[in-house]
Amino acid sequence: MHRRAGFASIGLFAALLALVLTALAPVALASGEASPSPSASFQAPQGTPVVLGVIPDPSGARTKWSGDQININLNLNGADLDPAASILTVDGEEIVLSTPASMIELSPGNPTLLMKWNEPVFAEGDFMFDVALFDTNGQPLQVYDERDGKTADTYSWEFKSEGEATGGSLINTEVMRKWFWYIAAGAIVTVELTVISIVLACIFALLGSLGRLSKKMTFKQAWDRYQSKEYMFRMVLGRIPYWVATFYTSLFRGTPLLLQIIVIYQGVPEFIKAFGLPDTYNPPAFWSGVAALSLNYGAYLTEVFRAGIQAVPKGQNEAAWAIGLSGWQTQRRVVLPQAFKIVIPAVGNDFIALIKDTSLVSVITVEELLRRAQLAGASSLNNFSTLLVAAAFYWALTIFFSFWQAKLETRMARDKAREKEKGKK
Amino acid sequence: MAKSTPTPVYDDQGRELIVKVENLQKYFGRNHVLKGIDLEVFKGEVVVLIGPSGSGKSTFLRCLNFLEDPTTGEIGIGGVHVTCGSHGGTFKKDVHQIRMKCGMVFQEFNLFPHMDATENVTEGPILVKGEKKAAAIEKAHELLRKVGLGERMDFFPSQLSGGQKQRVAIARAMAMDPVLMLFDEPTSALDPELIGEVLKVMKDLASQGMTMIVVSHEMGFSRDVADRVVYMDDGYFIEQGPPSEVFFHPKDDRTKRFLRHILPEKEPEHAKELGILEVDQELPAPDGPPAGSDASDDLAPDGRRVPLQGPAGAALNEDNLADTAIPEVPLSNGPMGETPLPPGDERL
Repeated sequence: MHRRAGFASIGLFAALLALVLTALAPVALASGEASPSPSASFQAPQGTPVVLGVIPDPSGARTKWSGDQININLNLNGADLDPAASILTVDGEEIVLSTPASMIELSPGNPTLLMKWNEPVFAEGDFMFDVALFDTNGQPLQVYDERDGKTADTYSWEFKSEGEATGGSLINTEVMRKWFWYIAAGAIVTVELTVISIVLACIFALLGSLGRLSKKMTFKQAWDRYQSKEYMFRMVLGRIPYWVATFYTSLFRGTPLLLQIIVIYQGVPEFIKAFGLPDTYNPPAFWSGVAALSLNYGAYLTEVFRAGIQAVPKGQNEAAWAIGLSGWQTQRRVVLPQAFKIVIPAVGNDFIALIKDTSLVSVITVEELLRRAQLAGASSLNNFSTLLVAAAFYWALTIFFSFWQAKLETRMARDKAREKEKGKK
Repeated sequence: MAKSTPTPVYDDQGRELIVKVENLQKYFGRNHVLKGIDLEVFKGEVVVLIGPSGSGKSTFLRCLNFLEDPTTGEIGIGGVHVTCGSHGGTFKKDVHQIRMKCGMVFQEFNLFPHMDATENVTEGPILVKGEKKAAAIEKAHELLRKVGLGERMDFFPSQLSGGQKQRVAIARAMAMDPVLMLFDEPTSALDPELIGEVLKVMKDLASQGMTMIVVSHEMGFSRDVADRVVYMDDGYFIEQGPPSEVFFHPKDDRTKRFLRHILPEKEPEHAKELGILEVDQELPAPDGPPAGSDASDDLAPDGRRVPLQGPAGAALNEDNLADTAIPEVPLSNGPMGETPLPPGDERL
């Protein structure tokens, strides 16, 4: 029973992995398509006064447009369109701008912008409109048209709409299939985040637990014992690791992980700028996420490791000291190897939990499973379908790693039983 | 200065002074556990500490290699001298030196469960003494053969019986070439049929001239092997002398009372031979260090055991609450150490 479940999970994961690997190439293509709100800007030859571009894609390659707005990108040689100096018209109607802007949104739901479009714009059919610019004297300004590379008084744009697109039924297998590889690539990022973070978390936890356990006696006890200022001074220095570790676990266990992720991503650049370093620095989102996840899980694992170290019988320390091992040798050779065995189940548990907590770093634009599912959902207009795909990936990952965790634990138990049997004979 | 190259001190038989303890005191918080202990042990001597629970035997033993940090006093072992209650680098170095000169065997064995028998034994020599691995393994194998575990050198502790574990522990301690072996109730955690094998190893060690301090209630072992038996109570050495003196002619009332307690009802003849079984009524518990009065007149001709009220004058504290009952150790007539012994008779 157990074995069959194991094989199933291995098979499932192997299949996922293979799919993901083969999908890596198409991903680049898919991600270009994924941008939910594409915009284009048109570069003009030097010296042309006004450049104007329009999206949706004027090439007409994408006719099934379901966005609820059209963006007109203006490039006035680096400056915004100043409503006091020039007037923009679409199909002869003036677009009233209250502030300078470089992008004008024409929305069918906002008839004050475009009176004539007070019904759904992109019903099935052909559309065309002209965009023109005038100066305050009513004289037309030259408009650059990228399509033919010419400048003219007006910019005409037409496209054929196949009608309003929708995401289809609630669970749309076509959408799922289409976006599967794109989301699968996010699963790789999720696994990377999890593995790197848990390794770093274990390192933080090891240091943290040793710090937490470095307190041997209180200052009062030490003073009563030695009555020595020099000893107390050294004791204060020796207490620093304890204070640091206590502060660390208290802080990271006392604040939400989501907040930590955002603060590390947004706060670090501010911090760097505050020290006069280049203010162009932008933290890589992935590593900010790794930092937050590993620090947070390290804080929790600190307590796990501390308990594990304390679960090693005191007699083990004493036996090691009695044969002359130093404090560090005792930890390294005697206590920690035994403590690691004790904490393996707990670390496995946190590993499983971490797989799912990595989804939080989607808020800082790391394109892991959830983020990719959201992007795909926005593009395909069917969030539910793409999120279901992501859920399946999370579940598969969890089953897979739980299986290995269980296997590791039963193996440890079996080793123990076998040793006992061998000892009996 | 003189610390590193002390002048050796010899006793009248020309034996070198190995252990010198002066006015050793130990507090656990406000609890005064050792109240000023002096001890000299010469090379090859076997000293057995007996006494009720909470009398400070184990604490004293653990103070000798600083598993407990003694509050005040002087400890000199194998030429290394430490003033207790100090601190700092020199203190740490001296403590380390003393630990290397002492081998210690624990009641609960404390073998490293993640290492096999050989690794347990080689750990100290390789890490602390920097011995070559091959040489250390060679020596470990020799030691394990010596303690009768030649067949089980690659077994893990979980695969060994209690007696075998304790013998590995003895080999582990011996691997550091100690000048002094400390045994903290080495047979108390063992099943009765396994005690003999451990005692035999200890006896072999003693016959090879190893200096030993043993906390044990194995009276047969003490009688056969010990050069000196020390009765300890309430943090003092109450009475010490050769086993024939302490066991057969105890001077202090508390010694008598203790010996009477640990004698089982089943062996009245031997108890009578020891001359302490005619006790019936409670003896007055004197305070303070040895009184030395002979209260044998008060003994009544009755072998009944007197319920234990707790060690005379000893406050029960958190450290000894767990084992307030004195282990009931049978005292048998059989000679010790001849192998093989029939089961049940191995322990003396």
